[in-house]
Amino acid sequence: MTSLWRALYFVRTAIDGLRSNPVTSAVAVGTIATTLVVMGVFGLALKQMSGIVDRVGQDLTVSAYLAHRLDDEAVRELATRVSTVEGVASVEVVTRDEALRRFEGAAGDRAGLLDGLVENPLPASLEIALASEERTEAGIARLVEAIEGLPGIDEIGHGQEWVDTYGRVLDGLRGVAAALGLVFALAALLIVSNTIRLAVYARRDEIEILALVGASRGFIGTPFLLEGVLQGTAGSLLALAVLWAGFELVTALLGATLAFLIGHGDPVFFDAPEIFAFVLAGAGLGCVGSLSAVGSAWRAA
Amino acid sequence: MSPQGETSRQALVRMYHVSKSYLPGAYALRDVNLSIGKGELIFLTGPSGAGKTTLLRLLFAAEKPSEGSIIIGGRNIARLSDSAVPTLRRRIGVVFQDFKLLQRRTVEENVGLALAVRGEPPRQVRSRAFRMLKQVGLQHRRHHAPVSLSGGEQQRVAIARALVGEPELLLADEPTGNLDPELTLEIMDLIAAAAARGTTVVVATHDHSLVERYARRVLHLQAGELAEAGP
Repeated sequence: MTSLWRALYFVRTAIDGLRSNPVTSAVAVGTIATTLVVMGVFGLALKQMSGIVDRVGQDLTVSAYLAHRLDDEAVRELATRVSTVEGVASVEVVTRDEALRRFEGAAGDRAGLLDGLVENPLPASLEIALASEERTEAGIARLVEAIEGLPGIDEIGHGQEWVDTYGRVLDGLRGVAAALGLVFALAALLIVSNTIRLAVYARRDEIEILALVGASRGFIGTPFLLEGVLQGTAGSLLALAVLWAGFELVTALLGATLAFLIGHGDPVFFDAPEIFAFVLAGAGLGCVGSLSAVGSAWRAA
Repeated sequence: MSPQGETSRQALVRMYHVSKSYLPGAYALRDVNLSIGKGELIFLTGPSGAGKTTLLRLLFAAEKPSEGSIIIGGRNIARLSDSAVPTLRRRIGVVFQDFKLLQRRTVEENVGLALAVRGEPPRQVRSRAFRMLKQVGLQHRRHHAPVSLSGGEQQRVAIARALVGEPELLLADEPTGNLDPELTLEIMDLIAAAAARGTTVVVATHDHSLVERYARRVLHLQAGELAEAGP
């Protein structure tokens, strides 16, 4: 009962504190919101780019070109054998005739160039799809190592280089975003703790009186921590609203351009777990920011 | 040197060779030795800057002495950790000249604050605060804001807050400094009544008429040094 009453007391005191210091509270909320909007824009951009890599990854297959001498039976046996390699999701056999048809389809108007050929020059191949967790540089390397010595396989080809380059760019962007996020988070912490310090300073008499009648550090400090959490949560919700509005506006105005830039598929907003993490980050920012101010308050008391 | 003012009562407060300096060689208090018995009412007198407030601040652990020991109820508070200070202060009531009331809270909430910080349930806090306000004659003003009360009434609220937790020790720093003579007696009567009920009381004042009227033990401070005076 005592704990419940204390909890209610802390919540009430925190809300009273916010009400009695609307300007400093609004500044803290605005600061947190601004920081999270900037971080959110980066997050959304990265999310779209990650989506491209994922989609490219889904289309990514490793092609094993086979020797001309293999008959259909040998090709099927080889396909069966490759399908048992760890990390392989599926294996599709592309016969020489199928390869020729695909080439003609891809060549379009210039398909007539092949008319002079006496024999189909294209080899049969196996198109090997990897399991999603294996669609990495290391995964492809493992597959290549496993199959390159198999009799009947002449050459192995894949589009990994492009994906790797793109992945490296994405990793670089993630690094930049993380560094910027850290800088913004530290700046926000500094500003939030200073704005809460202002609120604490405005209420130093109250803190002094509480300390005088025997209030513990926790009793004095908890409402301020709660204020930080409430400000952080409000800031993150405000940031989400701004991001959502901006996202809707940008997709409405530049939908076609964006669809082209990110390949097939529509731009996507944060999903539920990401929104939860976003709000949690805001609350944490407010909480940690108020910790130093509370420490000062206690020492002053 | 033994503590001054050794009385026949069991001592609640003892100070041994207590000094406090804020700058090297500049003493706010120097080698103070004293003993205050349980339930005793004493006056602490001296001119401004003599060290009265410093001595009181040492007693409620707002500061630590530079040298010496301060024993309250058998415990040396000179070595008290920061985390133990709140527990000590729940045994001590403090009254100031400027009342130190929370203006955003009602009179009843101000009085109840001393109980609320101990985690007492709200109903009990309200009930005990009401009883205490009745003792100081302000039960009818319990829902008012302190700012709407007169100076004498605000000081009665401050005394009610200091006494509601039934402290062993009541420290009053110039409690009547802002009040006219009639209200001064009213407030001092409340403080004396607390001593009569067994609370040890230390009143810092420069009002000699009060000291003469109540005829209790007087500790006189002069430039940080203690000299016992009458009666």
